[in-house]
Amino acid sequence: MKKILISTLVLLALAAIANQDIKLNEDKKIQAEINEIGFKILNANRIEKRVVFAYDDTDKRNILKNNKPLTKRQVVVFSDIYKNIETEDELAAYIAREIPRATRSYDGLGNGFLAAVKLKAAPKKYELVFDKLAVDYMVKAGYNPLGLIIHISKTYPQTRQDKISAHNLTSRRLAYIYERIYFNYPSYLINNEYIDNVYYQNYLLTSRENRKITAQKAKNRFGQWQDYE
Amino acid sequence: MNKIFIIFSILFFNLAFANSQIVEDEFVKDLIPEEKIENKYNFENTQKTFINIRFLEPIKSEKELYEGQIIDLIVDNNVFIKKELLVKRNTKIKAKVNTIITSGMNGIPASIILSDFEIPNIKKENLSPALEIFGQDRSLFVFPLKWALTPLPPTGSLTNFIKGGKVKIKTNKIYTIYYYPD
Repeated sequence: MKKILISTLVLLALAAIANQDIKLNEDKKIQAEINEIGFKILNANRIEKRVVFAYDDTDKRNILKNNKPLTKRQVVVFSDIYKNIETEDELAAYIAREIPRATRSYDGLGNGFLAAVKLKAAPKKYELVFDKLAVDYMVKAGYNPLGLIIHISKTYPQTRQDKISAHNLTSRRLAYIYERIYFNYPSYLINNEYIDNVYYQNYLLTSRENRKITAQKAKNRFGQWQDYE
Repeated sequence: MNKIFIIFSILFFNLAFANSQIVEDEFVKDLIPEEKIENKYNFENTQKTFINIRFLEPIKSEKELYEGQIIDLIVDNNVFIKKELLVKRNTKIKAKVNTIITSGMNGIPASIILSDFEIPNIKKENLSPALEIFGQDRSLFVFPLKWALTPLPPTGSLTNFIKGGKVKIKTNKIYTIYYYPD
């Protein structure tokens, strides 16, 4: 009886160690993938500030109180974000969005302390700015910026309103990203690799009015245009 | 044989029907593809040369500009590489207004990010990727004031309503970008 008990315990311990190894190897693979994309974006955009990338298998919600990108100048890819990522373009999109947040905390008073406070004080304003910069960063690094539309489209829910909120309506963010691509990198829309993609199709389905406004804006950039919904 | 023909016809019809379900983006028909920039990077060479630039027209506010607008600037110094004159002083150059960041509450200033500098004899990719010009940063006194007034609620919150400065650019103000020969 004793022998059976001991062998069961040993087997259980071995299984636990093997599981840990498998998980560690999986984490290492994800980390390597994130690093490669992150550093490619940094180099291609000649960003002369140090940023590191980390994979964290805890949910973002649990860590929100300690906003790492602002304090440690690092981009953290949380597991709840990563599980929604299917392509390299989408991962590049998430990383490219977080890089300007991390680099912006380098300049200004208190070695960037004030800049970091400003980002926290006006998250809604900078959300749109970082989306736009992410499009530029992605294109320069050789990624398809439509990956950003797909990533945001399937990751961020649509809130009821954004008048009294720290965030913009997701549809509005998507509209500004589309506008950026439409005006600056139209070749990605002309030769659209994602036209058959089910998420991109859903974006097209849900964004007709906003895309119409973009097309009208293109005809007269100084005109008075209705804001995106 | 007839059966095979009928099956193929049905399959073909189904495929055609499935394709017709794809939502097309009708607003991209008239777009013209942008010029692609070759973006090779090799940072072995540490050499970089500064280029001083000035605006040709003053700008009173970022509201006078729009994203994507091409603006005229002028080079303010002679640029030499290995004792060879590369860009002459007073050469007219162009830049694109890449991003406009409006001013915000808590004294956060507006800013504009310029990019895609076009300078004769120099490739775009060998120049600084961007130059950000800020308005007056009032957050320097707004945040300390807010924290000082925190014990007297709600006076601290009233500082939220102080807006940051607009982007004002004079024609004699010099900005610096860099040229990376490699």
